[in-house]
Amino acid sequence: MSAVLPRAGAWRAGPLARRAARAPRPLGRVLGSTVTVFLLSSLLTFGLGAVSDANPAAAVLGETATAADIARLDHEFGLDRPLAAQYGDWLLDAVGGDLGTSWFTTVPVADSITTALPVDLSIAGLALLLAVLLGGAAGVAAALSNGGRLDRTVTAVCTLLGTLPAFVIAIGLITLVAVQLRLLPSGGYVPFSQQPGEWLRFALLPALALSLDAAAGIARQLRTSLVAELRRNYATGALMRGLSGRRVLFGHALRNAAGPAFTVLGMSVPVLIGGAVVTERIFNLPGIAQLSLRAAEQHDVPVIQGTLLVTVAVVLVANLAVDAVLFALNPVARRGPRPEGRATKRTGPALAVGGNR
Amino acid sequence: MNTLRASLRVPVARAALAVLALVLLLALLGGRIAPADPLAQDTAHILGGPSADHLLGTDYLGRDVLSRLLAGTGLSVLAAVEAVAVAALLGVVPGLLSVRFGPAGSWLALRAVDSLMTLPFTLFAIAAVGLLGNGLHQAMLALGVLLAPLFFRVTRAAALGLDRAQYVEAAELMGASRSWILRVHIWRKVLPTVAVTTAHALATGLLTVSSLTFLGIGVQPPAPTWGGMLASDLGFLAQQPWAPIPPAVLIMLTVGALNLLADVLADSDRTGAAPATARARRVAGRRAASGGPSVQGGPSGQSGPSVRGVPSVQGVPSVQGVPSAPGADSTGPAPSVPDRKEHDHVPHPA
Repeated sequence: MSAVLPRAGAWRAGPLARRAARAPRPLGRVLGSTVTVFLLSSLLTFGLGAVSDANPAAAVLGETATAADIARLDHEFGLDRPLAAQYGDWLLDAVGGDLGTSWFTTVPVADSITTALPVDLSIAGLALLLAVLLGGAAGVAAALSNGGRLDRTVTAVCTLLGTLPAFVIAIGLITLVAVQLRLLPSGGYVPFSQQPGEWLRFALLPALALSLDAAAGIARQLRTSLVAELRRNYATGALMRGLSGRRVLFGHALRNAAGPAFTVLGMSVPVLIGGAVVTERIFNLPGIAQLSLRAAEQHDVPVIQGTLLVTVAVVLVANLAVDAVLFALNPVARRGPRPEGRATKRTGPALAVGGNR
Repeated sequence: MNTLRASLRVPVARAALAVLALVLLLALLGGRIAPADPLAQDTAHILGGPSADHLLGTDYLGRDVLSRLLAGTGLSVLAAVEAVAVAALLGVVPGLLSVRFGPAGSWLALRAVDSLMTLPFTLFAIAAVGLLGNGLHQAMLALGVLLAPLFFRVTRAAALGLDRAQYVEAAELMGASRSWILRVHIWRKVLPTVAVTTAHALATGLLTVSSLTFLGIGVQPPAPTWGGMLASDLGFLAQQPWAPIPPAVLIMLTVGALNLLADVLADSDRTGAAPATARARRVAGRRAASGGPSVQGGPSGQSGPSVRGVPSVQGVPSVQGVPSAPGADSTGPAPSVPDRKEHDHVPHPA
């Protein structure tokens, strides 16, 4: 996570862990709250544009513009209509894939985003993969040496990574790998569809820089839950029945411990995207954050709103995917909720009503 | 209160506080104790290494790195404090009030919090700067809004549990006024949680501020900032590969101290102000520092590693206890529990 919250990441571990504590939510409710969250975020995104004093007519026409010219251009952009109508149209168009056009270049915002988004998605995808591999391996190793030297090393490295902003990690990697060892290029980009091999060469360093924080989060969470799973009776019982340690670990404990770690992974998606802003600038990647930065300098409201809305959509889809994975990992949830009576008998009435309510 | 005082006895917390006090001192006095003018260019020593004149060397314009580092502390720290103040204001008050919301109000408030949490800090701050005007205040306002859910959630969770606590009911029965209860019972219990969140939010804020200043957002170029120094070092890595180290170390130290402090606070909050012996606390502090199992295991169902970055949370306390409530333990599969009210949790077994 981008550093602790940060980086935007750090504090996200808190809510994460809390989310992790939950059993998978029913899919219907997940969809309901996802739609609500999207609507609220779009309202916020639109509201920011509405309260901004950026005016396309004044900006595009320059200082010599007359009041009539400005009014004409305002009308052309539809800015003279009531805000509610503007919001409704903007949202409906956005859902249909039309995010308006840039005030300055008149290029459709959706087109700019379509060219920029694959850069981020491919690098974030590679970063997620690296995070799962690195974090998973580190977490399992730490859990197995619970309290040992390896465990302490992993913990210390994770803690260190948590205090570093993504761009400091990126600078360190550039210095070491690109400048000193000259193994990989320090910046630039080749689309995956053109030359997959070259793409990997350019994408590896930014993806690694992005992934380390998420990897640290995964390692921490996986270690915690794996240690707990291995202490449970079923693990001891399986060992006593003569199952190999490897089989107990990979067949049983890891599957149960993976849920919280996957939740951490889902929560690190906004962090990855947040970190991508700086990483893109450092590695000179033509991604969505560069688009947003350029638009912010020009006060190009449709582009800013479009990138923000698409980002929110990406994050929400990632969260849905995590919920789906959690659902798949948990056989009980797949079979449907257990009858209330059993839960009541087992845990007592206080817990049956949901613990804290 | 007791919690805060108790955590001060942990050596790690004292060390963290010492670092933070030093950073605060630099933030207040940095510009004045700087050995040279942070903007003065010494063209004879461009990209120079450490020397008697320039203890940390000079940058690509021959400016004294140490002076820029000292002078840049104020802006970075102040900005983070500003964002966290906004967040605390926007989070704590609605968080306490939300206990009185109906089910529909609560649901909507939690969804609003969710939607704020889907927004990435840096991108949102950039958007805010683009839409509201280029300034660090705009960026910090945006960051404060995004950090507010942290405060909202912890205050709401704490207040929800306390609202039903028996000693609160008892006080009500004995005729205590609402504001007295709030002051004496609720606030005293909520304060440690808010303190933990503040430390975390400050760490996050600092990191985001350095990212933003790295991108050149909200500051005018010659003014020194931690992030801005790193950005200018990036162009000269071949000549000065060690140049990013001083600002990076300063960021790491500050953020690390904040995280450490948050963890110690959270640990002592978890054990309550239970009368632990001084020795137990020392052991706890040492174990926390070495990453071993902490003795401060909480009997409560504190959800696992709610804090990030510090060894003591690496799981041990919350997971090894008897699972007090399914779902409250961060690791329990707890599939049989009817869906808990999502996001609300009670940190105190009150």
